[in-house]
Amino acid sequence: MAHPGTDLMKVADAQDILDEEKSDHTSDEGTMAELRSLLLGPAEVQLAEVHERLLDPQRQVEEVSRVLPDAIAVRSRQDDDLTTALAPTVSAALEYSVRKNPQPLADAIFPIMGPAIRKAIAAALSGMAQSFNQTLAHSMSARGLAWRWEALRTGRPFSEVVLLHTLLFRVEQIFLIHLETGLLLRHVSAANADVQDADMVSGMLTAIQDFVRDSFNTRQGERLETLQVGELIVWIEQGPQAILAGVIRGNAPQQLRQVFQETVEKIHLQYGTALKKFSGDATAFVGTQPLLEDCLQSGYDLEQQKVSSGRKITPLRVVLGVVVLALVIWGFFWLRDRRRWDAYVERLQAEPGIVVTDQGKQGGKHFVSGLRDPLSRDPAIMLQDTGLDSGSVVERWQPFQALTPDFVLLRAKRSLEPPTTVELHLDNGVLEANGFASHQWILETRRLARMLPGVSQFREDGLFDLERIENPLLMFDVDQTQIRSDQQDKLDQLVADLVHLRQLAGNKKVRLEITGHADGSGTETKNSTLSQGRAETVATALKERLLAWANLTIATVGSKEKLREEFTEADRATNRSVTLKVIVNAPN
Amino acid sequence: MIQKKVCMLGTFAVGKTSLVRRFVESIYSDKYHTTVGVKIDKKVVQVDASEIMLMLWDIEGTDTEHELRTSYLRGASGYLLVADGTRQDTLYKALALQTKVTEHLGTIPFLLLINKADLTDQWSIREREMTALREKGWEVIQTSAKTGFGVEDAFHSLAKKLAEA
Repeated sequence: MAHPGTDLMKVADAQDILDEEKSDHTSDEGTMAELRSLLLGPAEVQLAEVHERLLDPQRQVEEVSRVLPDAIAVRSRQDDDLTTALAPTVSAALEYSVRKNPQPLADAIFPIMGPAIRKAIAAALSGMAQSFNQTLAHSMSARGLAWRWEALRTGRPFSEVVLLHTLLFRVEQIFLIHLETGLLLRHVSAANADVQDADMVSGMLTAIQDFVRDSFNTRQGERLETLQVGELIVWIEQGPQAILAGVIRGNAPQQLRQVFQETVEKIHLQYGTALKKFSGDATAFVGTQPLLEDCLQSGYDLEQQKVSSGRKITPLRVVLGVVVLALVIWGFFWLRDRRRWDAYVERLQAEPGIVVTDQGKQGGKHFVSGLRDPLSRDPAIMLQDTGLDSGSVVERWQPFQALTPDFVLLRAKRSLEPPTTVELHLDNGVLEANGFASHQWILETRRLARMLPGVSQFREDGLFDLERIENPLLMFDVDQTQIRSDQQDKLDQLVADLVHLRQLAGNKKVRLEITGHADGSGTETKNSTLSQGRAETVATALKERLLAWANLTIATVGSKEKLREEFTEADRATNRSVTLKVIVNAPN
Repeated sequence: MIQKKVCMLGTFAVGKTSLVRRFVESIYSDKYHTTVGVKIDKKVVQVDASEIMLMLWDIEGTDTEHELRTSYLRGASGYLLVADGTRQDTLYKALALQTKVTEHLGTIPFLLLINKADLTDQWSIREREMTALREKGWEVIQTSAKTGFGVEDAFHSLAKKLAEA
């Protein structure tokens, strides 16, 4: 179709020519009009039509409406200018429409709003749950406290700090798989990763992708992108000819997905032809190794790098570090010293016979003061067990007598020095002695016991006085070694007392010394023989009657000593006798 | 090493899985058949001076060719059709499968394996049926998964065809 403008031009030119002719031949007007109508008749009609089209807006609208959709389509294919030009108008129109009546727009986007909101909420909840779990897991540990401090210091939420520290992941394997055949093009794996046969895994991964796509009626071009089992994730990035599958252990950041995508893109760019022509020979893809190895990232390394690069060593930091270290060490020793001192004071307070009245620290030294019974445990010895330095402790003790039963009894034992055959007991202020003792000790004790603080009475019902054995004299006739016949009752009584003693002695070893005596009438030699004979007579008599006493030893001595000076016959009779002495624990 | 994707096809219980079980490397259990519908195994075959790695897609047996998951066929360089010598219908189903596969993959190397050669006394596939197929240019091999008869030959023969293709 010719351009209407061109026609218009031609018509205008013809008009000019005719106008010139008209001025030259005005007389011939009728002929000219005829000629004009003959020559330009159809053009004039056209011209009028064009004129009308140009001036009639209604017709212009109709014409534009006919070409507008095609024009938009053509232009949109060429560039984005139309979009750019329309954007403000469209957005203004939307705004106007919403202001005027939001309902139509709300109705229109309703079907997509639900899924979008659900997706966003699910993502937010999942993120929150993860953050919450980690927060719980870490909030009580020492590391958790350090992170809490970091959160406080940096002003970041604690959950974010936790996430930052726990974002540990490791890409263990990368598979580059030919999309069409499922054959493995290249496989790389991290050190120590548990790797199965990569060829078969690659096939199975492809099969599973097919399986999911077939089974769940997915849209064209959509494929399985993520497989997740516990902390193990397989991310699958798809290109037109090949897929990249990354096996990741842990919690990988979304940026990693971008790394995978870029890798797939680079491989398609560099190996596009090889991928298209692939017929089973994977050697063409050896060169993808470095690209794939770049995908073997681990989150831990990245994090460490960030942390270490952010902390430069400066003199101030070194000084601060030293100060903090010194404070920590000092604090440790201070706390240890403090605990030891508290434990020592506690032990002192619990110790019988010690009363702590004051304690604390003065001039860098611990001090403790109070009352102490001299019979109580020595605080200096107790101090040695605590690990405290005795030079750093000052003690001031005032002596006193504790009146607790333990101390009263202890003091009684110290003052009375009872023989091993006597047991002392204290019951409600009554000091009780059991066993057997010399007459002299018993006399002494009766006198001293009354003066002991805390003792109100001395009871000796259970005490056997050895006087009963040592006092009686067994008498003999002149020049005789046989016991006088009237002494039998005395001997019987003596044996009875010895049997009593045997019961009290228990398994203690007892030695009975029998000393024979004589009067001064005979010669010294004769008297010596007589004394020995008399002692042996008594010894024999006692042995016979005390056979059951295994721990008893009987020894005989003939004494030259007279018991008393002889002035009367009674004195001489007394000297013709035998005396006994009880010795406990004496050697056999 | 050259790799090739090879499919194992055949109706139920013709012994496809038994055929490969003793002759291939496998890391997956047979239960993949009933779950994913395919199990992938590997077989390396020596052809002349070079080795060729067959990635075997052992596809779950279906009753009719219509139930076949054709997406598992994609990219295959060859296939093994398996029929049971004691069940004549399995041969007809194999023929139908072959038609279906050709629709999807075009004409690619394949073999027809008539399995259970150890039970020839019970065979219902007649010799002339096999001859007719051979005359059509098919390679028909009798195998026994039980005795191992013909199995290595079958893999070798297919690998050779693939290497030449």
